[in-house]
Amino acid sequence: MSRHSEIKKTVLRGVYEDNAGIPRSTHGKRQSKFAADSQEPVHSSRYPGKAVLVAVLGLVALLGFNLRLVTVDVAGPAAMQVVEEQPLPSYRVQLPVPVSPVGALIPGNDQLVSPEPIQSLDDATITSGRYDTMLTRLGMPMADLFNLQVQTIVIDPGHGGIDPGATGHLGLKEKDVVLDIAKRLRDKLAVTGKYRVLLTREGDRKVFLKERVAFAKENRADLFISTHVNSLPPGAGSLNYVETYYFGPHTDQRSLELAEKENRDSDYAMGDFREVIARIGDTLKTEESKQLANSIHKHLYNNMKRRNRGLIDAGAKTGPFMVLLGVEVPSVLIEVSCISNKAEEARLSTPEYRDRIADYLKTGIVDYLEERAHRRTIEGGIIQNVAKQER
Amino acid sequence: MSPNKKDNMQYIGIDLGTSRSVVSASNGNRKWVESYVGWPKDFVAKKMLGKRVLFGSEALEHRLALNLSRPLQNGVLKEGTERDEAAVQELIGHLIELADVEPGKDICVAVGVPAEALKVNKIAIRNAISEYAKNLMVVSEPFSVAYGLGTLDNTMILDIGAGTVDFCIMHGTVPMEDDQRSILMAGDYVDEQLLKLLTEKHPEADFSLNMVRRFKEKHGFVGSSKRRVKVEAPVDGIFTEFDITEEMRRACESPMPAIVETVIDLIAGFDPEFQESVRKNIIIAGGGSQLSGLDTFLTEATKQFEPCKFTCIDDPLHAGADGALELAADMPEEFLEKL
Repeated sequence: MSRHSEIKKTVLRGVYEDNAGIPRSTHGKRQSKFAADSQEPVHSSRYPGKAVLVAVLGLVALLGFNLRLVTVDVAGPAAMQVVEEQPLPSYRVQLPVPVSPVGALIPGNDQLVSPEPIQSLDDATITSGRYDTMLTRLGMPMADLFNLQVQTIVIDPGHGGIDPGATGHLGLKEKDVVLDIAKRLRDKLAVTGKYRVLLTREGDRKVFLKERVAFAKENRADLFISTHVNSLPPGAGSLNYVETYYFGPHTDQRSLELAEKENRDSDYAMGDFREVIARIGDTLKTEESKQLANSIHKHLYNNMKRRNRGLIDAGAKTGPFMVLLGVEVPSVLIEVSCISNKAEEARLSTPEYRDRIADYLKTGIVDYLEERAHRRTIEGGIIQNVAKQER
Repeated sequence: MSPNKKDNMQYIGIDLGTSRSVVSASNGNRKWVESYVGWPKDFVAKKMLGKRVLFGSEALEHRLALNLSRPLQNGVLKEGTERDEAAVQELIGHLIELADVEPGKDICVAVGVPAEALKVNKIAIRNAISEYAKNLMVVSEPFSVAYGLGTLDNTMILDIGAGTVDFCIMHGTVPMEDDQRSILMAGDYVDEQLLKLLTEKHPEADFSLNMVRRFKEKHGFVGSSKRRVKVEAPVDGIFTEFDITEEMRRACESPMPAIVETVIDLIAGFDPEFQESVRKNIIIAGGGSQLSGLDTFLTEATKQFEPCKFTCIDDPLHAGADGALELAADMPEEFLEKL
């Protein structure tokens, strides 16, 4: 394949991902209210009509053999109390999930569920009587159930104090770089006026992983962002790459080694994680973390690449990081740069470069949050519509 | 997507500009319209005009009887202006009508919009298009131009429109925030400057914004000009000839310092190894590229910094829409299905 064709392919995928990341509207065709003729029919239905919705859901149910379905109970706790005495039909929304793995990679792909296989339809069906099951099995955050906004973002600058993290050839330390980036990121997010942004450490001090997790819990974090800087062994010192992790099994030997390094002070051995990793499965936390990781990584990598063509895209992927496991909300660990690369270390030593990195992280986070809010507005509308229709 | 579905697809590229909007379709149709949308103000106006909505020059002609909108006035939809959103929807519908799609065909649309609008209005614009097309994508105008020209690597596109001048560095991927910049000193700004200069020099004459825009489109230039620019404007109702060469030059050159500064600054933030390549490949698109002598002027102006090579494209009117059409047609089936 020629270089031009390769570039074209990359660009087309980029256009696709950009556009697939924008939630589709459920609005009907809008009649302009600026038209003089008010007698013309006004198609102002915000959501599809009942009949259409019933037909679509029916069709989806019939064609279930090619779609994976998940059912979300919208009856809520009130219905739960009645269920024991007299079973009531639960209000359900059945959301089709494309089988294609490509769709699974795309953030904001109108999915409320993990794109990973669900064992059977029964596995994914939770009625009002199994409300608590839904919480535990899908790991659905309370914020999502009650449509609460993201309010608190906890940023976690890795290492600190006696633990310098990685150190570059010129002596630059990971703990200092990530603290500076975290502070800049906090300020950038705070000026939006929408979020309370907290750091797990404000100064150069040692914070254990458990303390970081406890801090996020105590402060009722809605998002958790851990920042780190990569370092490679001397033989690979000229390489420079960025990668973003969300919690899950390791995808390669390197991510396992990295997790072992970052988990050093966790008081847990890797063996202890196995059961937890297997149990955590496909939760909405994982899915939201994945979308957050994808959004941050896309902005970070694509923007940084223009300043350094040699930058390697190690992707957004799963890794068994203790700090991500402990936090119960969408959480990611970002290796924002590679300090073992001499040129990169020189760049990292300038405030301008660190500020840019903070900018890219902020854009990725805000993009994710806006997409998520839009997605939930649409889903909320559909759920209300179905509920009305069932009544 | 099955081969039958692909065969049944009609591809459409749209360049949704501040001043002009252009459509280019896979059936060979290429049309353009000035980006004005007008709704009759009352039932009398509606009866007189005989239409629910008017577009382009027809809307301008009857502007006194219309609620007129030029939706992307400064390169973006004004926040919360439903009228502008509705205007974009009407305009897109009109352009698709102009494409004259065969009945029964599925439509796949790619729309190029000003870079700033893509940042702040992408959902509104996408919603507006989704009423008409089975598959759709929205990209920035400079990107669609670059795609059509096949200049996807180590190139800067300079898209001089009416509302904004968009700068975009292509480096083999979809451009991100740092690759793009927009400034508001564009075509409309030049018109305002020209009107101001002419009104100051000839207070006795009646110049209007529409008049000076036409003068600029016909005679606009930067640098030196061998011929004089002479136009006619009414003085006490009598058309009189004026030599506006100097005012035209000053107005057209007014955005140039900002353009040069932005070009230099944007390249300076690029990977040093590739800065030289980008400097040699700066492509000027958009209506503003038709200013006579522009490429030579900018090439000369950047000599005092690091020399750059500017080239104007041949068909600025259709380049954006043609690029968008090519993008829609090239999109692999597995992606298209989900857009």
